[in-house]
Amino acid sequence: MKRFRSELSVAFAIVALLIVLAFLAPGFFTRENLSDLVLANMPVLIVALGMTLVIVTGHIDISVGTTFAICSVAAGEFAKLGLPAVGAGMAACVIGAMLGAINGALVAYVRIPSIVVTLAAMVAFRDALRWITQGAWVQDLPANFQWLGTSQAASNGITFLVAAALVISIGWGLRNLPAGRSVYATGSNENAARLVGIDSALVTFSVFAITGALTGCAALLNSIRFNQIPSNAGIGMEMKVITAVVVGGTAITGGRGSIQGTLLGVILLGIISPALTYLGFSAYWERAIQGLIILCAVGFDAVRSRLERSAGDFAERTA
Amino acid sequence: MPNALHKNWRERWFPNGEWMVLLALIAEIGIFSSVAQNFFTTANFVEVIRLSVELGLLALALTPVIITGGIDLSVGSMMGLSAVVFGALVMDWHWPVAAAAFATLLIGCAGGALNGMLIAEFKIPALIVTLGSFSAFRGIAEGITHGAVNYSGFPKSFLFLGQGYLLGVPAQLPVLLIAMIGYGLLLHRSVIGRGLYAIGLAGNGARWAGIAVGRRIGLVYFLSGFAASVAAIIYVAHLGQAKSDAGTGYELDAITAVVLGGASVAGGRGTILGTVLGLFSISILQNGLHLAALPSELTGILTGTVLVLTIAIDRMRARGRTLIQEEAIEMKNSQVAILCGAILAGALITAGANVWLVRSLKTMPSSASGGHTAVIAVMPKAKGDPYFVSCRTGAEEAARELGVELIWDGPTGLDAAKQNEIVESWITRGVDAIAVAVENQAGISTVLRKARQRGIHVLTWDADAEPDAREYFLNQATPEGIGNALTDEAARLLGGKGDFAIITGALSAANQNQWIAFIKKRAQEKYPGLNMVTIRPSDDDRDKAFSETQTILKVHPTVKLIMAISAPAVPGAGEAMRQSGRKDVDVIGLSLPGICKPYIHDGVVQTIFLWNTKNLGYLTVYAGAMLSQNKIPAGATSIQAGRLGSLEINGSQIILGAPLLIDKRNIDKLDF
Repeated sequence: MKRFRSELSVAFAIVALLIVLAFLAPGFFTRENLSDLVLANMPVLIVALGMTLVIVTGHIDISVGTTFAICSVAAGEFAKLGLPAVGAGMAACVIGAMLGAINGALVAYVRIPSIVVTLAAMVAFRDALRWITQGAWVQDLPANFQWLGTSQAASNGITFLVAAALVISIGWGLRNLPAGRSVYATGSNENAARLVGIDSALVTFSVFAITGALTGCAALLNSIRFNQIPSNAGIGMEMKVITAVVVGGTAITGGRGSIQGTLLGVILLGIISPALTYLGFSAYWERAIQGLIILCAVGFDAVRSRLERSAGDFAERTA
Repeated sequence: MPNALHKNWRERWFPNGEWMVLLALIAEIGIFSSVAQNFFTTANFVEVIRLSVELGLLALALTPVIITGGIDLSVGSMMGLSAVVFGALVMDWHWPVAAAAFATLLIGCAGGALNGMLIAEFKIPALIVTLGSFSAFRGIAEGITHGAVNYSGFPKSFLFLGQGYLLGVPAQLPVLLIAMIGYGLLLHRSVIGRGLYAIGLAGNGARWAGIAVGRRIGLVYFLSGFAASVAAIIYVAHLGQAKSDAGTGYELDAITAVVLGGASVAGGRGTILGTVLGLFSISILQNGLHLAALPSELTGILTGTVLVLTIAIDRMRARGRTLIQEEAIEMKNSQVAILCGAILAGALITAGANVWLVRSLKTMPSSASGGHTAVIAVMPKAKGDPYFVSCRTGAEEAARELGVELIWDGPTGLDAAKQNEIVESWITRGVDAIAVAVENQAGISTVLRKARQRGIHVLTWDADAEPDAREYFLNQATPEGIGNALTDEAARLLGGKGDFAIITGALSAANQNQWIAFIKKRAQEKYPGLNMVTIRPSDDDRDKAFSETQTILKVHPTVKLIMAISAPAVPGAGEAMRQSGRKDVDVIGLSLPGICKPYIHDGVVQTIFLWNTKNLGYLTVYAGAMLSQNKIPAGATSIQAGRLGSLEINGSQIILGAPLLIDKRNIDKLDF
């Protein structure tokens, strides 16, 4: 139980929201709605997996929205060059990984703070993409691009399986593999990690490259649901992703966090907006309510851990 | 650690390598003086200062926050909330300006104190707290105004603060100076300031040294909320309007300025001088690019590069200095290989971008030799929007045909403040005619009047400014015409009665809100059977429009028609409809035929409305060129606009023609 303590308040918020929905808007729980919600939040979830690694290492990556746009456009352009959708997807992942690697190299080896590097990457690459595309969408995609050349249901199934495989493998690997443990070690205390023989610079470099590759993967899975690709995709995505990760209990200071927490964070943020629609709130108040729910979830967590701390102090003093 | 007594002047004034930013600033000034017209003039520097005040206040306020190792992402949103509160108090509640300003500052203080309390008292990381208040503040501002209310018509004496001159300098400059001096004293000449550095370097150590850490941290966030509300009041006076979108994205620019100025995001490092240098290197870069008529996309690319380069050089030098004391970080061959690979990848991307650059430069119209080539500056509302991209094609066609030079530049997203800034730079540059697609009437009219006084011909297109601020408005369709056409078509498809839903752009988008008002009015007056069930935002994002449509279909099963009134929202709604397989729901809207073609052919989207965007761009440049040669006599009732033939002039409006109804029958004939 103690293992999951930091995720409890988020889980509690989700359950509370679902109970309210069950009474006031049972239509929320139709199979169709749930599957739409899962598909709509898939890109954020996949990017959030990488972001969890980055934040656990004690860094941050605010360039993911820009990377998402570049990879979407690249996947489309490669598909138009005649590559099969899978090949175009691979190419998108490689480009994402390359962009992530540039960030990672600057953070790990040149030792520039990650927020600075990725802020620069976010602004510079976004403007470069705007310049190159001049805002035009990628159109006239080959017919086998949408749904990967299969049916809608099959393609959605594939998307779901890929996401599930990523969540499970990264979640398991982060807890159980030496490489996963070294991510926590690097985030807790980089110098100590280096002294016990962990190549912390390589860990930092890798988490950025992995985040880039996952962003490319998310971009592909999102693009194949449509038959044209806008060049301004992913604006504000970094905020959504980072919010989901930190709401899921990952410490922004590094060293603490989990994939199951991130999963809960994505679920909470993903259902708030449609839930408010189902409950009949006006769109005009949605953003304010969203901010309040996030503040409450985090505030509750902080108050609880503070109470626990003082209870611990008391126990120590009276022992 | 060098002995404090033996610090040389460089370490005294530039402890964090700020001299590099100073060099970059001097280089910028040098380059732009030679390539940009009228850059090195007093008038231009005065304008640069005016445009830097709001951002400067935020950057100054963020400096101590970042020095303590924190961050405040909520400052831009606080500007939005403060602007709306101020506007409501003055215009709706009829408070005197001074009292309203005072109350607004209190709101800023309260917001800052809330952040400070959560961070200092409850020990929640600053990034999380301010991420939350980032959405909460903006959300409250949108909630109380419904994103639509736009307060304008403030008293002249108040607007003087943002638009007037005091002894030859902009009236808001003293505010910035006071803030600079105040923050300079606080950080560099007071005990509190030394404490802030100590907190940033080692929070626990500072506590043991007897510094009231919580109170100090609370103070810096409190001050940053206060500074944001001051910036909001100046912003309102500068633009003459208060709306919930004030200050959107300012937080990132402000953080960039602070970090560029040598502050460390890890805390413990940073100076006010550095922040000021960082601020001006950004604003001069933007101003210079506008004056040199270089694409504004270069701003982001160059800022990003300079940001990474200055810090990288600083890091390299720091490592060189400490190499003897610390053991060098060992690098394995594999790491070197990875690093080389990353650098190579970066170089390839740069090279690729350069190829594109050369290609795009070639397509730019070269100015005809001999004689004066008229320069027509045309501004879209947002550069990346597909609608304006297609207008640009027509504008370029007209420029080639007439042999005039076309400057096409504008904000990358909807941003009234940026529009003013670009017009200012065009006035300084001295163009022959300016044509603006107006985002905000009250905001832009002041600066357009100024352009007319300087003898520049002024047109508006797509959306109008105040009539006396321009010579002609190129009217493609009135909001009423659009609203009526959409409502009539909806009534026709629904057979006069039924439920429909609207998907708009951003909730605060002025155009869309005008259309919605006319749609509601028309439905009420003419079609009592039509019932609008809900309005959902798409934020001009295709994917968001897609999921909003899915939700609408399920929450409101009675909806039989979706009206999508933002260009990317129509394909989004169309795709959602196709995937849901609902054949009983129609989609209509306002969008470009190019991106809607597949859906109209499939029959999921029934009708879209639009005027011929290419012709609109063509007419804009054509009319601009004719005006600059004084070929439109006063009182003319028609003009000959090249391939468009004769167009009617109604008063001071040049009418392009009625909106096109686009459906299966004619979509293949349209090429925009």
